Amino acid sequence: MTADLGNIALWIALVVAVYGAVAAIVGHRQGRPALLDSAYNGVLVHCALVTMALLSLEYALITSDFSIQYVVFNSSRNYPVWYKIAGLWGALEGSLLLWAWMQAVLAALVVLLYWRKHLAFLPYVIAVLMGISAFFVLVMLIPANPFTQHFPVPLEGRGLNPLLEDTSMLVHPLLLYSGYVGFTVPYAFAMAALITGRLSAEWLYITRRWAVTAWMFLTAGIIYGGWWSYHVLGWGGYWAWDPVENASFMPWLAGTAYIHSVMTQEKRGMLKVWNLALISLTFALVIFGTFLTRSGILTSVHAFTQGAVGYFFLALLAVILLSTVTLLTLRADQLKTEGTVDSVLSRESAFLFNNLLLITFCFTLFLGTIFPLLAEAVRGVKVSVGAPYFNYVAGPIALGLLFLMGVGPVIPWRGGSWGGLGRNLLGPGVVGLAAGATAFVLGIRGPSVVATYAVAVFVAAIAVQEYYRGIRARRKTAGEGPLRALGQLFARNRRRYGGLVVHLGVALLAIGIASSSTFQVQREQMLKKGEALEAGSYRVRFDGITGSRGPTHVKVQGIFTVFNDRHEAGQMTPALRFYPRQQEPIAEVDYWIGFWEDLYVILGSFDREGNWAVIKVMVNPMVSWIWMGGAIMVLGTLLALWPARFRSAAVRGERS
Amino acid sequence: MNGKLRRRPVERSERTRVRGSRGTPLVVFVLAIVVALPLSASSVEQQVQQITSELRCPVCQGLSVADSPSQMANQMRDLIRERLSAGESPEAVKAYFVERYGEWILLAPKREGFNLLVWVLPFLGLGAGAMALVIVVRRWKRQPTADASLTIDPAHLDRVRRELAEDQR
Repeated sequence: MTADLGNIALWIALVVAVYGAVAAIVGHRQGRPALLDSAYNGVLVHCALVTMALLSLEYALITSDFSIQYVVFNSSRNYPVWYKIAGLWGALEGSLLLWAWMQAVLAALVVLLYWRKHLAFLPYVIAVLMGISAFFVLVMLIPANPFTQHFPVPLEGRGLNPLLEDTSMLVHPLLLYSGYVGFTVPYAFAMAALITGRLSAEWLYITRRWAVTAWMFLTAGIIYGGWWSYHVLGWGGYWAWDPVENASFMPWLAGTAYIHSVMTQEKRGMLKVWNLALISLTFALVIFGTFLTRSGILTSVHAFTQGAVGYFFLALLAVILLSTVTLLTLRADQLKTEGTVDSVLSRESAFLFNNLLLITFCFTLFLGTIFPLLAEAVRGVKVSVGAPYFNYVAGPIALGLLFLMGVGPVIPWRGGSWGGLGRNLLGPGVVGLAAGATAFVLGIRGPSVVATYAVAVFVAAIAVQEYYRGIRARRKTAGEGPLRALGQLFARNRRRYGGLVVHLGVALLAIGIASSSTFQVQREQMLKKGEALEAGSYRVRFDGITGSRGPTHVKVQGIFTVFNDRHEAGQMTPALRFYPRQQEPIAEVDYWIGFWEDLYVILGSFDREGNWAVIKVMVNPMVSWIWMGGAIMVLGTLLALWPARFRSAAVRGERS
Repeated sequence: MNGKLRRRPVERSERTRVRGSRGTPLVVFVLAIVVALPLSASSVEQQVQQITSELRCPVCQGLSVADSPSQMANQMRDLIRERLSAGESPEAVKAYFVERYGEWILLAPKREGFNLLVWVLPFLGLGAGAMALVIVVRRWKRQPTADASLTIDPAHLDRVRRELAEDQR
């Protein structure tokens, strides 16, 4: 019954999406406003129908309706309601439904926000968005139907992959999907601009907020994923260069290049082709990532099941790439650059090199991710491309990017003199070098880590310098107090000053990554009851074992007393969770998060009587800087996105 | 559900992992200060750390032997330590695992033959891209300023208004 409802809703949604796309274009071409209005309404109806399908599946999940196969495989009667809800995106079919729903909501949002606005673009935007929506619905109706029936109806479901049983499951996928879906709006407008030939920066102005918002969600999603990996997977790290991590990182890199290079077109009318290509690339990489995850061609922590789904995504990928290339070729004559620069040393060229490094980074990830497939096809030999490769190749690229992040914001548009640049860079450069030297004097010897410290501090110093200069200038000219001057800086150029905050966040992140990957202390030992092991300034004593029964598993906790410099600091209880259907237990880490270092304890194995246990203790330095850096990046993006009303009011106030 | 009791050398020394890195022209000035420093001779534990971070844990998904919490990785760490202590060279230890599991066990592909592609292409791409950019920037510089006789696009007007209203940098 529920399954029928869901299926019917999806079929009608497919028809309505196709109708909306066609009606929008025909209505626009033939000048029939009624038909165009009908297309707008179609988008809303499509959204309502997909919502109905989503609610049907959620209803089945919450009520444990095991007549639906998806519910059998991804839920359990024993789950608390939150996990039942999260089961929706626990596997292939449901996650596609969530994606289709977000896509539909987004299209509805676009239509509602831009009702009777941007009339030149919107019919095509609707057509592109509805095309994408129709694709997702089609995939659900043919190779990956979430409403497939299950017979005979079992009494109990199989539950989620135990690693997914975490509150992060309620956050990370939603953030990531919001980011992925968000990029389709600028993509749709880019296509509309190419189709209509309205290739000025207009489409960029309209979609600026969409792109930056999508970028923010993607950033937050990736960093939250790192946090999830860190506190759940129990290996002491946050990023493994896993193919699917790479799949989310690739569109992030292309998207980052995009939100920077668009400024060149907005301010200077340059890089038009490049921006159109970049946003298409970003969206293509989203789909490519989905292809990697859903087709099962790669194994990874995140991999979903195999099947025909891969071919569908491959086909969509081909459509995206071919249509972009074709349209760009057809419009080539209209895409000539307007601007010129006075000096090679200009903001424009800084953005170009920023883009080059980001795209090279992206290409490295792409190459490394698909290389095992290539090698197997060419040589017939399986190879791995993992962390040592990526650290080696991408490390210096990332460092170069970090450096440009400092230099870019102080090079003027059109070009400046070496002397002027020198004045801008002198202070922060000295601070950065001093930081590197200090690290060296303190006994830190790894060249990459010292270089990262120096460059990250340099970037932070640039941000601070620019704030200081801005505030000083406003205090002089407008006679404002420091706080008001700071507020005015934001009010008048939110993007620049918000952006500098984001850069500051990246600097913290870089320091956190360099420190934690270089100075991690790790010890593993078998302890008898009462024995202790030492790691860094900590002593961890084994006091025994307790067991408890959770809703889906049996949990065995080790009890450890931790001393910090001989003072008793508290108790830690890392655990192993035993699931009925899993052969290997799953480790539940216990951790203390600190500003300078985290203490991270994993229970390895134990004796049933609690006489001994093997534990692994890690002291991970400055990992919290990564989370702080991520939070600051999101905060900076929010500052940059803050509605324009405030600024206009401020500008009016100034003029009066 | 009891863990297996396995006696083994229990003390593990502190591990320091230094990410591999190459100087880019942009940071050469920073690297130059530190890169020439002699690295201290590596102990067995450092070698164990180095080797385990380069080998894939066969039962995990993409984790290195160094990072993996699995029993399999524990046993591999012990074996590597034994072999190194017995005087085997790190290369020989890695070769042993490659022989048993195939090239797949190495987390970074060997730098030879077809594999060179994956090592070289990013840098070639970077080099080619940089050259292309230099040409682009030079062309931008040489071009005469675009004349103002173009038709006025509403978006342009909009842009002018925006730019007037905001401090341009």
